[in-house]
Amino acid sequence: MVNNMGDVTRLSLNVSDDELARISEETGTGLSVNELKEIRDYFEKEGRDPTDIELQALGQAWSEHCCYKSSKYYLKKYLFHLDAPQNIRVIKEDAGLVEFDDDHAYAVALESHNHPSAIEPYGGAATGIGGILRDVVCMGAQPVALVDPIFFAPLTTDYDELPRGVKHPKFIFSGVVSGIRDYGNRVGIPTVAGMTTFHPGYLGNCLVNVGCIGIVKKDDIIYSRVGGVGDLFVLAGGGTGRDGIHGVTFASKELADDSETSSRSAVQVGDPIMKEPLIHACLEANAKKLLTGLKDLGGGGLSCVVGEMAEAAGFGAHIDLEKVHLKEGGMLPWEIWVSESQERMMMSVTKDNLDDVLAIFDKWDVPAVVIGEVTPEERVHVFWKGEEIYDMEISFVTTGPMYQRPTEPPVRDQDGEARFETPANLEEVLIDILSSCNIASKDWVIRQYDFEVRANTTSPSLVGTANSETHADAAVVRPVEGSSRGLAITSDVNPHLVARDPYWGAASAVDETVRNLAAVGARVHSFADCLNFGNPEKPEKMWEFSMAVQGLAFVAEKVGATFVSGNVSLYNEAPAGACPPTPTIMGIGIIEDAALTATPLFKSAGDTLYLIGETKDELGASAYYRIMGADGGTVPRVDPDLLARASEALVSLIEDRTVVACHDVSEGGIAIALSEMCLGSTMGASIELHDELGPDTSLFSESNTRWICEVEPANEDAFEKALAESNVPFTKIGSTGWDRLTISHKGRQLVSLSTSKLMDAWQRPLWETMG
Amino acid sequence: MIEMRPQDIHACIVRIEGTNNEDEMYRAFKNVGATPHLVHLNELKTLDPYQCIMIPGGFSAGDYVRAGAIFASRIRSRLFDELLDFVDHGYPVGGICNGFQVLVELGLLPGDGEPGEVTACLAENDSARFECRHSLLLRTPSNPCAFTSRLPEGERLMVPSAHAEGKLLLAGGIRAYKRIEERGQVLFKYVNYANETEAPYPWNPNGSPHNIAGICNEKGNVFGMMPHPERAFDIENENGYAGRTLFESLIRYIGETF
Repeated sequence: MVNNMGDVTRLSLNVSDDELARISEETGTGLSVNELKEIRDYFEKEGRDPTDIELQALGQAWSEHCCYKSSKYYLKKYLFHLDAPQNIRVIKEDAGLVEFDDDHAYAVALESHNHPSAIEPYGGAATGIGGILRDVVCMGAQPVALVDPIFFAPLTTDYDELPRGVKHPKFIFSGVVSGIRDYGNRVGIPTVAGMTTFHPGYLGNCLVNVGCIGIVKKDDIIYSRVGGVGDLFVLAGGGTGRDGIHGVTFASKELADDSETSSRSAVQVGDPIMKEPLIHACLEANAKKLLTGLKDLGGGGLSCVVGEMAEAAGFGAHIDLEKVHLKEGGMLPWEIWVSESQERMMMSVTKDNLDDVLAIFDKWDVPAVVIGEVTPEERVHVFWKGEEIYDMEISFVTTGPMYQRPTEPPVRDQDGEARFETPANLEEVLIDILSSCNIASKDWVIRQYDFEVRANTTSPSLVGTANSETHADAAVVRPVEGSSRGLAITSDVNPHLVARDPYWGAASAVDETVRNLAAVGARVHSFADCLNFGNPEKPEKMWEFSMAVQGLAFVAEKVGATFVSGNVSLYNEAPAGACPPTPTIMGIGIIEDAALTATPLFKSAGDTLYLIGETKDELGASAYYRIMGADGGTVPRVDPDLLARASEALVSLIEDRTVVACHDVSEGGIAIALSEMCLGSTMGASIELHDELGPDTSLFSESNTRWICEVEPANEDAFEKALAESNVPFTKIGSTGWDRLTISHKGRQLVSLSTSKLMDAWQRPLWETMG
Repeated sequence: MIEMRPQDIHACIVRIEGTNNEDEMYRAFKNVGATPHLVHLNELKTLDPYQCIMIPGGFSAGDYVRAGAIFASRIRSRLFDELLDFVDHGYPVGGICNGFQVLVELGLLPGDGEPGEVTACLAENDSARFECRHSLLLRTPSNPCAFTSRLPEGERLMVPSAHAEGKLLLAGGIRAYKRIEERGQVLFKYVNYANETEAPYPWNPNGSPHNIAGICNEKGNVFGMMPHPERAFDIENENGYAGRTLFESLIRYIGETF
């Protein structure tokens, strides 16, 4: 059954189902019995048995992570048909390309590095940055911003409650932030935005999503496809090692209590100081038009990159695997072929340009070697010391299976009434929410990242008076020298809402993204999504996925921007259970003049405050209900047409400076939004609410499509007229002034708190927990 | 005497792997009309074409040994004599952030030992953390320095800080601090909005004794600072004009001197 060829082994698949399952297990390929039978049929036609390297390559290519076999059906059905005129090339490459101005495009990528970070938080998070940078660089784009949405179990989790094999969230959180810091800061790309969210469902199952935006001259755009027959494959960057073997198959199954020991080798080892010059060298060679194609080595390593680059151009490849430079001796050919070691890029180069390319990499002290050549037929042939060890049709490898897995909604009352007594002192509740881990200041995290390197960050995620800043709704970078045009960047999702109602929770995530962009004065221009869900083989989890994708599409198709790039991460399940469904959205907006970015802090006393939008009784899964321990309630709905109208009207009002401060209303409702506007300066506000809701609902409802705006009294008419013309509801709610926030509802005072008390409640919690 | 025109002033921004603030440094020189050059140390054979050498910020060679140590030792092994000559002739040599650390590791700052003797270090921040925050810097009375001549003493700037190792420790302790103050080598101190030069963390982000943020050599042509004036440049930047003034000073100094 086994036919040994030295370093390569042949495996017969003409065996029983049980034996096939054993082969899958022993080779670590994660292929199902049915998938192995399909492979058996293929090799029967070829008239031979597969080699271990061939089977390993198929295991990578057919993994959930690489071929989206469970998610593809829903993505195609609901999301991929959406289009927008500004899109240049989306979904198909490692990063989406969208028009920035006449001469430039920006590249967007968003990914997860969840499983590695659960095992080894520092290395897992660091290499997540490494991977996302390569996705942007391989379009020829200079990375200009990193974004890090990260999700953990509450830091106060009792050590005694930790299941076997699960690390404490404090350790994971601290390790993840350190990993992002040490990699991002060393490569010199600013980490400008992100989110830090806590939910018990992330126990043993943290999510580490990472996004990157790059800028590229349209003339310099390069794709992940070879130029023509005879082009050389040049592998550049760090050596190939045993780190990161089976990363994608590891990411395509649930975590177990022994993952720490069994899967440690699936986590890569990052080396930012190899990455930094690698980026320079690749971009320099590309700008000099010396490359025909460029692609990064990510999941599946060489086994994916060679075939995909060749196939994209309708060609094949001949590879001499022993030419790959290694980190360590004694590696088997299949290990070299599937290793996911970091800091590697593949270029295709004509023979004429080879010397010039190698000279650039030599200058940067970055290794680069020729490992093969483009051939006419659409097959990949791999040789090991002269002997052919791999010969497969590329399309067989890359097509992969697609499943329409069953879905089943959980038995749950979606909109049941919550029953509890309204607390007498809502001021105390406000302070509790303001200092709760999801809303409190994240400056403990943010200040560890260099958010201003490259000097393009015109408005960072902390704004206001030095050392007492508040959170901005979105960060703004100005990527093109000499142009005032900026990219506003935000990332949003509220997993509490999605867990309670995947459809409206996902729709709310898109709404929040659009309104965060509008709050700084930016028009939404593109989205990227990172869809983190549980085991798709469980119908309930597949249902969550399907509903969430529909919710995303429902809002996105009305706001003029589409999902240009993304990633699906399934099997986020640990012994303690699945993660809450988490469709992380990264939103990119265009701000015509970055100097006009609006910030949330109040600007001057005596200005008028307005609420744009309407507050409804939508408290399901709200911060208020969670503090009260209340179940039930309605998750906020979205009216995408209103969102489109209101955000356009608001952006125009920010552009002509009618609105001088703006903040979106989200978690914690109006009460928290107003509190956050009192931070960053020391100006307070006096608010009178007159809606027909209960006082607690009025303060804490999380209804979508709402903002609070500061307007100079002289501009009230202009403000009201513009919104009325756009058919957008608004209410005058009070004015700025003093150093106190007071809120009354129908004449009854509910809140009277000094701005310093608010600052204290908001600023300290994370520092006190993390030190 | 005819001053050099700004565009005839060639500034060499030296890069190696991990120096990652060179693009903004390049832009800073361009924005004040000079002609900057990004030169990889591997390609830097001579300093002759340049009137100014700048070491940008970043994490040169990963800073794995000690911040700036690897870059400094590579400069020592290639160009050190020429660099000392360059300094002796009065040409300006500057370092920001990691570049400051490199100049200290080269013994050029504070420059009170034998040529090349290291008499200081930039130690880990007291917070033991990377600190990215906006610092208020007070321009303290000092000797005329190439980098600060157009910034009046007593002026306050807001400049971004972003480093993990910025605490200036001097060999010789208290007396050494007294000496550099007396010799007019302290350019900037971290302050708060009340301009207090003993303002604690987070105004002083790293715990640097006497809140020292930037220094020069006694002659004023070698200078280094931890915060980033090249990031505080144009009007749209929330930090205002602060950075431009320093680079304009430098270009004026070179124009008038050479």
